[in-house]
Amino acid sequence: MKIALMGNPNVGKSTVFNALTGSNQQVGNWAGKTVERKSGIIQRGNQKIELVDLPGTYSLTAYSQEEIVTREYILREKPDVVMAVVDASNIERNLYLVLQILELSPRVVIGLNMLDLAQATGVTINSTELATALNVPVVEIVAAKGKGIEEFLTEAIRVGSLVEYPISSEVPYPEELEQKIHAMEMLLKDTVWANQYPLRWLALKRLERDPEIGQTWKTIAPKSRNNKAKDSCCDSGDAVIYQLQETIILPGESLLQVYEAEGWSKDHFEMAFADAKYQFIAQMLPKIKSVEILAKPTWTDNLDKWVLSPIWGYPIMLAILALVFWGSFVASAPLGGAVSQGMAWAGDVFVSLLQWGHAPDFVQSLVRDGIFAGVGAVLAFIPQIAIFFAFFSFMQDCGYLARAAFLGDRFMQLMGLHGKSFFSLVSGFGCNVPGIMATRTLEDPKDRLITMLINPLIPCVPRLGVMSAVVAAFFPGSRGAIIMLSLLLVSMVLVMFSALFLRRIVKQKERSAFVMELPLYHIPTLRNVLLPTWQKTYSFMKRAWTFILVASILVWVLSSFPQGVPMNETWAGKMGGLLAIIGQPLGFDWRIMVAIVFGFTAKETTLSTLGILYGVAADASQSIAQAMTSAMTPLGAYTFLVVYMLYIPCLASVVTTYKESGSLRWTSFGIAYNLILSYIMGWVVFHGGQFIGLH
Amino acid sequence: MERFLEDLKPGERACVEHIKGEGALRRRMMDMGIVPGVELEVIRRAPLGGPLQVRLKGYYLAMRRGECAKIMVSETH
Repeated sequence: MKIALMGNPNVGKSTVFNALTGSNQQVGNWAGKTVERKSGIIQRGNQKIELVDLPGTYSLTAYSQEEIVTREYILREKPDVVMAVVDASNIERNLYLVLQILELSPRVVIGLNMLDLAQATGVTINSTELATALNVPVVEIVAAKGKGIEEFLTEAIRVGSLVEYPISSEVPYPEELEQKIHAMEMLLKDTVWANQYPLRWLALKRLERDPEIGQTWKTIAPKSRNNKAKDSCCDSGDAVIYQLQETIILPGESLLQVYEAEGWSKDHFEMAFADAKYQFIAQMLPKIKSVEILAKPTWTDNLDKWVLSPIWGYPIMLAILALVFWGSFVASAPLGGAVSQGMAWAGDVFVSLLQWGHAPDFVQSLVRDGIFAGVGAVLAFIPQIAIFFAFFSFMQDCGYLARAAFLGDRFMQLMGLHGKSFFSLVSGFGCNVPGIMATRTLEDPKDRLITMLINPLIPCVPRLGVMSAVVAAFFPGSRGAIIMLSLLLVSMVLVMFSALFLRRIVKQKERSAFVMELPLYHIPTLRNVLLPTWQKTYSFMKRAWTFILVASILVWVLSSFPQGVPMNETWAGKMGGLLAIIGQPLGFDWRIMVAIVFGFTAKETTLSTLGILYGVAADASQSIAQAMTSAMTPLGAYTFLVVYMLYIPCLASVVTTYKESGSLRWTSFGIAYNLILSYIMGWVVFHGGQFIGLH
Repeated sequence: MERFLEDLKPGERACVEHIKGEGALRRRMMDMGIVPGVELEVIRRAPLGGPLQVRLKGYYLAMRRGECAKIMVSETH
């Protein structure tokens, strides 16, 4: 049996899904989309059930990727029954979706959730009356406490096994519309399509000129790239792929033209149908909903008075961001350190095993300095990512993230971006990897792509660390602060410029609307925070480790062959030497170029590379930066800082961009864009500086 | 005089009369429950020309001023 879980965003759908499937989940992407696909197999009695958690949507039109995915699934896969989770505190808008589902698939069971939240706002919902009004079974659930979920499933299984289609209440449309629907039904009733879908739904969609009507899609099994690597958790991209089999033109074209001449366009029909649905809901509302005017404002109202206040909103946001940053990027540092030390230790153990087995020196070096050190450097990100995502899931679930988008939207609007990009960009200051991963909350794929591509221009904590060491060496005292600020300003301006520039490159037909729900605050369940955190972290590791392993080996080979020569004689050193030609217009010598090349694995290594090249054996970043002062002018150093801040952030961020965008083309574009932009900026700074007499 | 949602002060209520524009934006508004006849209340306006927080059908919605300028409203009955 196939069961689909549907509902608006923020209604507790994932809570129900997590409670039913536990850890037995498959998480991937829908084919060709960056929308998460979650499914799980559950066993009840002798029934084997495939439960699919469809993305949260507000309707079944094709406005966002989430809606397209949901619609396609219902239309093409035809689940036996739909479990619709409904938020009692927001019943009208939730029922609007339910009515759309009912028109398409009559086998629906409603899970009425958040009755407690509704109660707190003075709203009581009568579930028996709701069931009578819609003629659909309604089960009261408290998803956060796990109450009623099993009954919800049992009811769904019962409805799903019914032989006859249950009859649910139909939305009554105004007389004029009903006539048009009926006329269309008459034309459609003898087509093949009428056997597969409810006739009334078919007529409605035909009147709306829905492109999907008439298309037959074939399901093809996903190509078994590595078929044995099916993971119980976090399998990536195992989604079903559809192929258009044939398109038949359904009858009714001439009728549609007649209606259009009467002024009934596609938009007109859509509006009229939506209007009728809301009317229908409004009519049944007095029976199912009773509102008690509360004397005191609700929790959400009280909190919002502060959180969204024009005066306090921003300080509160800064405080929350500071906490997230501290937690993810400062407090996690010992953990990250422990990970790389652990890797170093494991490397040493491995090497001593190799020594015992008389392995050649270069193999030992490959294992210790190449694989373990390289992979360790990237694995050190893992605690950061995990902690960041725990915070992120918490804020998203409790309702704060939408508030942050509300407050940050003004700034994002300047760049032509969506309010939700704000959080991703701010996170970039901590680490670009979670910043790029945080773009998932954006609905519009174009907005998502742009936010992802500009994220690397924001200097992350490790980069800021290296930059401040260099600044301190070249510009002592209060000048340093001004220099640092000017660098941040350069980054801001370029982020803004790039957002506007990329909007022209990434073709976007329609600017996405900022019409966003501000959900009521509630405390998320522990499972809803930890499960996505684990899935995100795990999938990062799973996806990244092969890339990182290969890249680490590559860097090691380049930097240690030919063997036993000084660094500038190695292949990488020679590469740096060649690159010095490119660096010359910026005033860079080969050492800087080599450091820049090596900085690709992880930018914090840049200083130690420079230390080796300048012959300063110390680990202290101060002395390395001091050594640079004798070799470079302040203007040269500033040019270096600008280029260093802007060129490709690191291997991990590139891998993440590839994973999140799913496109090699855009990832390469991002790399090229960063390189070219940093080069141009470096050139402008260097020559502009010389021109006005700086050195 | 024509009034738009954008012109409302915090605490003011109004009824949706008509939505200008078409396509995705209008459909999106429809999905969120903004259809003619619905009562809206502006709760607050974000500073510096930021979005508006609006209450309708018992829930909260954030919308940019540009979008609010497309929603024509009338006095509540």
